[in-house]
Amino acid sequence: MTNTPLLELKSIRKVFPGVIALDDVSLTIYEGEVVALLGENGAGKSTLMKVLSGAYQRDGGEIYISSKQIPKHYTPREAKELGIGIIYQELSLVSELSVAENIFLTREPRKVKSINLVDYKKMFQLAKEQLEKLDVSYIDVKAKIGSLPLPERQMVEIAKALSQNCSVIIMDEPTTSLTWEETLRLFDVINSLKKQGVAVIYISHRLAEIFEICDRATVMRDGKVVGDCKISETNQQKIISMMTGRNFTLTQRAESKSEIQDNKILFSAQKISDGKMIKNVTFDVHQGEVLGIGGLIGAQRTELMRIISGVDKAKSGKVFIDGQEVNISSPVKATKGMIGYLSENRKEEGLNLGLTISENIILSNFGDVSDVGLVKKKKVSETGNKYISSLKIKGRAGTIVGNLSGGNQQKVAISKWLNSGCRVLIFDEPTRGIDVAAKTEIHDLIREFSQRGNAAIVVSSEVNELVAVSDRILVMSHGEIVSEIFDCEISQDRVMYDVTSSGGKKHE
Amino acid sequence: MSENRVKLASPIDFIRHQLLGKLGIVFGLAILVFSFAMMSPVFISSGNLSNILVQSAVNAIIAAGMTFVVICGQIDLSVGATLALSTCIGAKVMVKTGNVMLGVVVTLAAGIVLGVINGVIVAYIDFPPFITTLSTMWLFRGVAYVYTGGQAITNLPDGMMSLAMNSFLRIPLIVWLLILVYVICHIFLSQSGAGRKIYAVGDNPEASRLTGINVKGVKLLVFTLSGFLAALSGVILMSRLNSGQPIAGQSFEMYAIAAAVIGGASLTKGGIGNMPGTIIGAVFIATLQNGLTILNVSSFWQQVFMGIVVLFAIGLDKLRKRASF
Repeated sequence: MTNTPLLELKSIRKVFPGVIALDDVSLTIYEGEVVALLGENGAGKSTLMKVLSGAYQRDGGEIYISSKQIPKHYTPREAKELGIGIIYQELSLVSELSVAENIFLTREPRKVKSINLVDYKKMFQLAKEQLEKLDVSYIDVKAKIGSLPLPERQMVEIAKALSQNCSVIIMDEPTTSLTWEETLRLFDVINSLKKQGVAVIYISHRLAEIFEICDRATVMRDGKVVGDCKISETNQQKIISMMTGRNFTLTQRAESKSEIQDNKILFSAQKISDGKMIKNVTFDVHQGEVLGIGGLIGAQRTELMRIISGVDKAKSGKVFIDGQEVNISSPVKATKGMIGYLSENRKEEGLNLGLTISENIILSNFGDVSDVGLVKKKKVSETGNKYISSLKIKGRAGTIVGNLSGGNQQKVAISKWLNSGCRVLIFDEPTRGIDVAAKTEIHDLIREFSQRGNAAIVVSSEVNELVAVSDRILVMSHGEIVSEIFDCEISQDRVMYDVTSSGGKKHE
Repeated sequence: MSENRVKLASPIDFIRHQLLGKLGIVFGLAILVFSFAMMSPVFISSGNLSNILVQSAVNAIIAAGMTFVVICGQIDLSVGATLALSTCIGAKVMVKTGNVMLGVVVTLAAGIVLGVINGVIVAYIDFPPFITTLSTMWLFRGVAYVYTGGQAITNLPDGMMSLAMNSFLRIPLIVWLLILVYVICHIFLSQSGAGRKIYAVGDNPEASRLTGINVKGVKLLVFTLSGFLAALSGVILMSRLNSGQPIAGQSFEMYAIAAAVIGGASLTKGGIGNMPGTIIGAVFIATLQNGLTILNVSSFWQQVFMGIVVLFAIGLDKLRKRASF
């Protein structure tokens, strides 16, 4: 590390109509440093990164790269030329093009200088070299991006940023879709970036990772920087207190609910198979219980959930509620049978982003708001308002859902299912990409739901979440249930141990 | 994380938004009527104004069906051909039996069947709607030609003309029918559960499916409605022409799409649009054609104006989106 900072942001200010999004924000980063940028949703992290990457123009403040001031207005393209690369949550690769074509998109090596003919041989060679630098040469440079799993696409994205000689790489929630194993591989890549003198700004909601990989943490709240500290000199509680502005106790294990074991079985899945990886899976959920499902990505958790909720077809197997068989040949039938599935892909599968909050909520149940077959506007907005106040959704009944923040969108999606009258709800990654405070609220909602005599199933890749919300946890691996952890045995360590020891790849 | 914040709208923003949005097209229609009235006294006569509504009826009723289809994120190019084939079948029945009502019922039933054919292919066989209805457009039209040998079916029973000839409370029956169709379609679209589902499916089919909405059923429904309404407007046309014609309804699909788009529906994004917008769009088109004809503008130039108007409507839509952000 040298003493001149690589990147310096001084008193950055950004105003949106009616809101000061960034107020006097300063940030300094040295060569080879990994800085965590932390804060709850709406704290201003993404805005700051958009200002830095040229997507937004700042209203005040200065930016220096290697002590040289850079102009006030610049485009994302000019930002890249200045050495600032950003890897967004939603990756920005073209899925129909190959790995190499993506890395060199618009900068393809040419055969003859003045003629626009791509030199594929050279391009594949250069792409290979970039991937080797990151120790991910197992990725085929000729493969279509669309055919690659998500973590590999992310590596390609990083390679692309590196090939543009970026000296600062911003990673916005890079691990939300990665398993622990894949996360470790990403950390290896970040470490090799550090060695090459690249600075990384790392945005994540997963605090455990911050302590694993970052050197320093900058915490934002309400558009201001509220704390800056070395990782070695802080701890998780301190950071959470800074983020929320109040003393925060880590999500505690929900109190023992041992009487649930005596309750009757509400939901039962018998010998479910999909003809591929899922074979004869059988499990029960009791009335009043929250069942957690853990496992690494590839464990077929989502696939199993989609089958028992009728979203995907089962090859064989039966599902029962209260001892009555439920037809799960389609979501229409499954929801009639009182089983609802909240998808892990909120935007693509969970919500109608173009419709309003109340319109989304009533979609699962027209009966309550209809009179002689006609939907009553008053009842629709009443239903909307009921959930807006009880779930503390920041918006009005007529607000378009696409304009809400992620946490509020998720609350709308949950409201929809709570309003459906379903007795068994499956929550697939219910708090992905959502800030700490909203997370706790959603956990409470799920627990309340099951305590009303229903049953909830929660699929999560975050061990914290499973521990916080579940009465019982099943760990899956390769389409099978490999362990069951009962109420009193649930602990962070036990769950982490069972999940990680379930193995990422079976045929290694 | 996202940075969406609720922006507080000022009263001026609100008015501007309303002007560009729901009221924009009403405003445009008012300007159009006013300008034609200034240029020609004939235009503003009560006879001509009711004439405009009669002229708009055929397109407006097809456009109502198109509105369902477009809001659902689909498209139906076969409406003109559906109109032709269903009226030819109905007209033949009428001529053979001499029974007007039976002929009308058969026409409407034929429209429903043709709509179901489109709906089944799109929803259940999962073909893209554009290609499917482009193909059935030729197919239905071709069958209409084969069935009639390319000849118009004339000598319909006298009763067939009564729809076009008669008035109730000095308003033509066709206009009453138009109002009735739109009142029912509007209530159905905006207030029935099925109507809300059409919006939901158009906005996000996968999310709707996972919510337990029968997405295939909703798609089948909109194509069926489209076929039925095309046939219904065929009945009006048949009554006005006093014949069933295999060449009827050529390029009607384009006018219907134009009416829906002028009224605020979007071909690129489902879940947007409404019936009041579409009927004003249809009346707008009829007013433009009527006014230009009265002013002796050639049909060649009329097409030029049509093009400009639709482009203008899309521009208005863009402005509205910017204002609402």
